[in-house]
Amino acid sequence: MSMFSKRSIAKFMTLGLLTPVLAACGGAPAAAPIKETVVVIQTTAPEVQTVVVEATADPAQPVVGEAFSTPHPILSDAKVRQAIAYCTNRPELIASVYPWLSEEDQAALVMDTNLPKGHWAAATDGITTYAFDPAQGAALLDEAGWTLPEGAQVRENADGAPLSLSFTTTNAQFRQTWSAVFIQQMAACGIQIIPTYAPGSWWFGSSTGLARRDFELGAYAWVGETDPKGSTLYACNQIPLPSNNWEGQNYMGWCNETASNAIVAANNTLDTDERIKQYGIFQQEFTKDMVSLPLFNRSEAAAATNRLSNFKPDPTEYQTGNVEEWAVSDGDTVVIGLTQEPASMWTLIESSAVQRVAGYLTGNNGGQGWAFTSYSYDYQAKALTELPTLENGGAVNSEVEVTAGDKVWNTAGEAVELAPGVEIVNAAGETVTYESGSVTMKQLAVTFTYKDGIKWEDGESLKSADFELGNKIDCDPASGSVSLSICESRQGVEFTSDTSYTVTYLPGVQWPEYMIYTLSAYPSHQVLADGRKLADVPASEWQNLPEITEDPLSIGPYILESWEKGQSMTFVANPNFYGGEPKVKKIVIKFIADTQQAVAQLLTGEVDVLGTETLGAGAEVETVLKAAEAGEVQGFTIASPTWEHIDMNLFVK
Amino acid sequence: MTTFLIRRLIQMVLVTIVAAVISYGLLYVQPGGPIDVLLAERQNSGANRINEADIQRVMQRFELDLAVPVRFSRWLIGWPKGPIFGSVGADWVVGCATPGQVRLRYPDGRVEIVEEGCEKTVTLADLEGRKVSGGVVFGDFGESQVMLRGRPVTDLIWSRLPYTLYLMGGSTLLAILLAVPLGVYSAVKQYSRFDYIVTTIAFIGTSVPSFVFGIFFILLFSVLAQRAGLPYLPPGDAVGVRDYTIPLIGMVEAGSFLDRFLRVLMPCGVLTIISLAGWSRFVRGSMLEVLQQDYVRTARAKGVREQVVILKHALRNSLIPFVTLLAGVLVTIFSGALITEAVFNWPGIGRLFVDALSRNDYNVAMAILFINVILLLLGYLITDVLYTIVDPRIRLS
Repeated sequence: MSMFSKRSIAKFMTLGLLTPVLAACGGAPAAAPIKETVVVIQTTAPEVQTVVVEATADPAQPVVGEAFSTPHPILSDAKVRQAIAYCTNRPELIASVYPWLSEEDQAALVMDTNLPKGHWAAATDGITTYAFDPAQGAALLDEAGWTLPEGAQVRENADGAPLSLSFTTTNAQFRQTWSAVFIQQMAACGIQIIPTYAPGSWWFGSSTGLARRDFELGAYAWVGETDPKGSTLYACNQIPLPSNNWEGQNYMGWCNETASNAIVAANNTLDTDERIKQYGIFQQEFTKDMVSLPLFNRSEAAAATNRLSNFKPDPTEYQTGNVEEWAVSDGDTVVIGLTQEPASMWTLIESSAVQRVAGYLTGNNGGQGWAFTSYSYDYQAKALTELPTLENGGAVNSEVEVTAGDKVWNTAGEAVELAPGVEIVNAAGETVTYESGSVTMKQLAVTFTYKDGIKWEDGESLKSADFELGNKIDCDPASGSVSLSICESRQGVEFTSDTSYTVTYLPGVQWPEYMIYTLSAYPSHQVLADGRKLADVPASEWQNLPEITEDPLSIGPYILESWEKGQSMTFVANPNFYGGEPKVKKIVIKFIADTQQAVAQLLTGEVDVLGTETLGAGAEVETVLKAAEAGEVQGFTIASPTWEHIDMNLFVK
Repeated sequence: MTTFLIRRLIQMVLVTIVAAVISYGLLYVQPGGPIDVLLAERQNSGANRINEADIQRVMQRFELDLAVPVRFSRWLIGWPKGPIFGSVGADWVVGCATPGQVRLRYPDGRVEIVEEGCEKTVTLADLEGRKVSGGVVFGDFGESQVMLRGRPVTDLIWSRLPYTLYLMGGSTLLAILLAVPLGVYSAVKQYSRFDYIVTTIAFIGTSVPSFVFGIFFILLFSVLAQRAGLPYLPPGDAVGVRDYTIPLIGMVEAGSFLDRFLRVLMPCGVLTIISLAGWSRFVRGSMLEVLQQDYVRTARAKGVREQVVILKHALRNSLIPFVTLLAGVLVTIFSGALITEAVFNWPGIGRLFVDALSRNDYNVAMAILFINVILLLLGYLITDVLYTIVDPRIRLS
């Protein structure tokens, strides 16, 4: 009998196999980290910095912080990033997803900077453009030390390491389609791309994917706005790191002092010319460093029946922005198809696009779409006589002396009493920490004046009490308002007449879009079904008031007549509308969740209008555009404010 | 019978609670949610940016600042509403309004901030004054959090239920009335041309998804028919919003009986075909099995008329397994058809459920799930009782 039985030998062998596995999994116990409690603070606004334009810093230099401090072996080289841009044939990417657009329309979608063409802040001078030029791309790669060995498909560096990059985006078919073309384009330049098509919940999760900078090349979209903002995306202090609890959205880890200062300055000045100048500086640096490759605006489509005229789809305004101008050649009703039903007609608590489309018909509680519109990346007065600006004297940005105990707006975006240690921006635009004495700060005052003859649907004139009620309710946290920043930044409101008031902000408040921060208006005279006056109802009850959420008193072109839950809303023309009774007498909004069904209803004449919110950019667009070509309906394609881009992570974990 | 019913009812209560716990838990562990939606709004959002206080308000509205068991208990039985008996446990911690943050400094110099502990707790005393439903077990499903914000969930369900009952009831009845004779005839005439045709149609019906059927129907009977100048069916909705003209039929008034009838035809047709396909196959298989039994052969040998053999001896026995299939009918009729309702824009419970899930309206989604569980269990109970009727050998005891 042998010394060891077969069973024993087997046990030893199993142990021998398992030991290294266990060791690899567990290893030596890691040294325990030191824990420090962090004080949870309010989410801060982008830090206001002194505007000092300095020489461009090398973006490949490590940023502050221990993690993500190792430059990416490939992407930290600007030549490689620029080569990727030159090797990208953006028109071809666009053609892959929007084959139904004409070449001219496709070309109009190409993005050169972070702002769409035609935007008031989009720069054209001094920016670096990257027209498709694979030869230039190849030359840059050669220069960067990535050469193509004889007969090989992928470039290598001197150490024999391949030029291979991971590419992460969502698993949406749209992105997979253009990504496949992008991968081929990169392969033609000798760059190997390894794609990962991740679920959106992971890629955009609050603690996964993009938020943790878990990518090398990452594709997604931003939505352009009338005000370009941008400091949370590109400033040096907005790089998400473990040491700052991943705050910020500068996922590339890009810190170019010139660009960072310019984007912060652009966001902290009210002078339009100065803003254009600073955004221009930013875009020059942004395109030169090529840390994020702008690809193209998405295309969106809208459609309307041939009977309808003056329908005006726009990238930054909802389809009903000019509803009072609509006219029909036959009949008196227009049916609009929407994919969702508004949760409430109360603008304060519901921010969805469908709510705005419906809300514009009744005046949107005196807000956007009624007081002003936002066509073509700009603002226009509507019920206001004009937009108040510093240039036309409607706004005044004066200098005031503040001392300890005065209420001011600090750099963290909070209303605080001035005391030693409080960080503020002084009148010279410098960030200073208050110690004692007096400091000169900027104080903004904006006067809004409305047109004469504005009435509620019941014939009652608009008056200052309506705006006072709007200010009171919207600024009450119990009302359900999501953000109170603007309310908290106001020092006071002074009424000079029933239709004119001046909003004075706290010293230090410098909202770039001050010209649109109007007060809401609610009918203070309205008597509710239970006999109370609307003005006497506490804010906490408003979100359950049918007179506010389901059947608001209209101040807009239409009156909400009925609302069949889950099916449709019917509006009739408001004879008391200040602009005169609209030509279209009845507007019905139908809720059609499925886009194919919506298109079928358009083609069979059940629906007259499908806006970009409903039609979007899906496969159904082609059907609609073909019908438009055949003259059955009117088809519109517009460059969406949503733009695709590829971020390049400059660091590795 | 009474003992059986009592025992089953007790079991039903337990199963309902377990199902409620699981579905409630699953609903809240899914990725996304109102806070993610809110944080997404924070992107590049300037003056209207979201701060910690805003997040806390939204968490409070969705009760996300309460521990899941406490949240569940408030949803299920509407308790606790505050300190017990008015004062006991006022300082008991039942949730966390602001998670704590800890900065970890690793020996290798790395720094990381992670959430740990709680910076600002929620106590029982904080629950006083907060809105709470009376508890779903007492029939109060609370308020809609998103879709019909601040208004009762039951309002939403009642507004959709008639449409679902109308559509699902009609199609289910039609499917049963057609499936049984088709299945029986197909079995009796096994391998006949009729059998092959029914079998082929059944295979197509069971294998083609409802949305494909739906789109195909809309294209064929609505879009193409209208373009060809033929009588056509409206592509969707339960009721029209304006009058329309159909060739040969003439003017159809929106909201009239004819309008409603024309609009239900296509969704009802699709649902009937799908149910019919599966059920006729089931009845055919069951009937074939029974037809090969000795007692059927004996009956035939005794010279019993074929019609009597099939209808009296075979059919009744072949329907026993079919009855089990019908247990799910009750819940189907209530919950509607998720896909078909969406394709035909039918304002029923199925579409409501899909909307509630996609818009994070937890109270609405949970109400529908909870009612479905109860109806399913009731369906099984009814099936068990029906067994004794269709099969005298079975006793509930």
